[in-house]
Amino acid sequence: MNLGLLLPAGLAAGFALLLPLLLHLSRRADHRTTPFAALRWLEVRQRPRRHLQLEELALLALRLLLLAMLALLLAQPVRYAASGGSDWVVVAPGIDRDVAWAGLAAPRAQWHWLAPDFPALELDPPASGQATSSLLRELDSTLGDDVRLTVLVPARLSGLDGQRPSLRRKVDWRVIETDTPALIPSRPAPVKLDVRDDRPDDPALRFFRAAAAAWSASAEQPNADNPDIVIAPSSERIHPETRWLVWLIPGELPADVRGWIASGGVALLGASTSAPEATAGGVLWYGRNGDVLVRGRALGDGRIMQLSQALEPARMPELLAPTFPDRLRALFDPPPPPEAALAETQRPLTDGPRLPPAPRPLTPWLAVLVALLFLAERWLATSPARERSR
Amino acid sequence: MQAPELIPRDVRARLRDLRLFSRKQSGGTGFGLHHSRSRGAGLEFSQYRSYQQGDDPRQIDWKLHGRSDRYFVREAERDSTLEVWALVDATASMEQGDAARPGWSRLDAAKGIAACIIELALRQGDRFGLVTVRGDGISVVPASTGPRQRSRCLLELLALQAQGAWPDSARLRAIGERIGPGALVLVLGDLFDEPCVELAEQLSAARREVLTVQILTAEERDFPFRGGHRFKDPETGRELQGDGALARRGFLERFALARSELSTRLAGSGVRHLEYVLDGPLDAPLQKLFGKPAADAGPEGA
Repeated sequence: MNLGLLLPAGLAAGFALLLPLLLHLSRRADHRTTPFAALRWLEVRQRPRRHLQLEELALLALRLLLLAMLALLLAQPVRYAASGGSDWVVVAPGIDRDVAWAGLAAPRAQWHWLAPDFPALELDPPASGQATSSLLRELDSTLGDDVRLTVLVPARLSGLDGQRPSLRRKVDWRVIETDTPALIPSRPAPVKLDVRDDRPDDPALRFFRAAAAAWSASAEQPNADNPDIVIAPSSERIHPETRWLVWLIPGELPADVRGWIASGGVALLGASTSAPEATAGGVLWYGRNGDVLVRGRALGDGRIMQLSQALEPARMPELLAPTFPDRLRALFDPPPPPEAALAETQRPLTDGPRLPPAPRPLTPWLAVLVALLFLAERWLATSPARERSR
Repeated sequence: MQAPELIPRDVRARLRDLRLFSRKQSGGTGFGLHHSRSRGAGLEFSQYRSYQQGDDPRQIDWKLHGRSDRYFVREAERDSTLEVWALVDATASMEQGDAARPGWSRLDAAKGIAACIIELALRQGDRFGLVTVRGDGISVVPASTGPRQRSRCLLELLALQAQGAWPDSARLRAIGERIGPGALVLVLGDLFDEPCVELAEQLSAARREVLTVQILTAEERDFPFRGGHRFKDPETGRELQGDGALARRGFLERFALARSELSTRLAGSGVRHLEYVLDGPLDAPLQKLFGKPAADAGPEGA
């Protein structure tokens, strides 16, 4: 076990150790007045020596210890993970406990769930869908260098993130076959796109109509006759159930539309609409040539986006591309990032960074010790025997 | 009136075996317990002597005159009463006690011993009186006898507080005038002060039997002080700062020398001198002075 200090300057509080020393020195009653009638036979040649003598050594020691512990507490001691120790087996949630025990013979290892705080396997299984990759990285950095790690994962592993975990140790990666339900691709729910344009013959409306028709065709109950699009002038109020709005009216964005966005709506503004919030947002869609097509950002509970180009195929060839409906939908409803994969493909790499092991704070234990020392000091300092001797 | 505050119960029990006596025979009047060399009318025949002018004719032994045709006077030893005085030093130095036994000062011991003397004198039918010396004056309870006299003396003792320093010898001379010749005077004090010792010598020279009990504290005997102390003389107010352990050896030597000089000096003046240390039993000096000779093994004044 290696100890370290996060704030060694806190040890400067150790100068406070001088205080009890001074207290116990100055209590030295060098001038007790003693009535003494036979004074004439008393001869004092030398003055009383300065006795650098400490009184009440037990109490002094306790006080010194208390202050030393306080100084140490200020210095924030930490303990680095012990090297060595028994091997670890972590089981991803979703695997049956008995199956895990049966599948691996590691009697001397510590068995834990792959979940936050790594609860012991004897405890109730945590909910599945934990941030598996992140937990693996945490475990890798916490455990000592020579602890062997075995990970039991189901065949379909969820809780992954964008990068395959790359650890500093070689992990015994065991894939346990579990009967997981087959993946059914979910179809997007039907939504209405509300387009506001004061010119009913605007050629830009063609692209939105086409996109809405494409969405309707791929919906669960396709009805090409009733495409999910409403085209209305700006004077019409926004329907409360409307979630997606396309605003193609030039000029300042009205305040009520802004309020609607802030209460949870998602709006795509035309290039001629002036809305400084959207222009300041990040780029959501790059064109083929690297030019910016859509910027956007959050506004209140909703999101505001704005086209940077006019809706003309000459300026924006993507309008004619077959992927336009999907891209448009992704603007309004960004698909979730992929987080599940076949466990076999997610075997951790071993080229992880050699980070120093994460320290564990000793502060709570030290605080308890300081409290106990303080109680002991008070008990000793206020004991009746000491009061009597004063 | 009982005075349990002054005499502890066990000491009172041991007083039973004591009897006050004077080595100088008392010439007082009345019938008492004490042998006297003065002769006269009495119970126990002593001697015949020839008639001298002025003798009472009733004392002539007429039967002897018939046989010898001379006038003889029959003399008897006369048992006389003793006059006992307790002289208590109540100057400020008597307030000193031991740290080991707080609340028990030299003065308390002196009061206790004086009360013992009074009890003994009362039991023997002797006349007794009390003299207390304080810085602001000398108080005398004139010698008398009887329980009421004891009450007077005990009342005086109980109210006694230590104060001041010894008065000069001129004022002390009054004491000698109040104490009759042949009286037994028990001086209770620390005897550190010259006027006190001089008074004892003067009384002894004036044919009083003087006994001195020097009351010492255990700290004066052992000097157990360690570390720095500020020693203060309660009478003069003089202070000395010093280290107890360093001063111990010199003090013990000088103090022992001073005590032995005092003892020699008092013995030369015919004073019986004793020391009493505060941690000893209260009746120890009385046992030494008046106890049975077998118990009186130690040399006096040691």
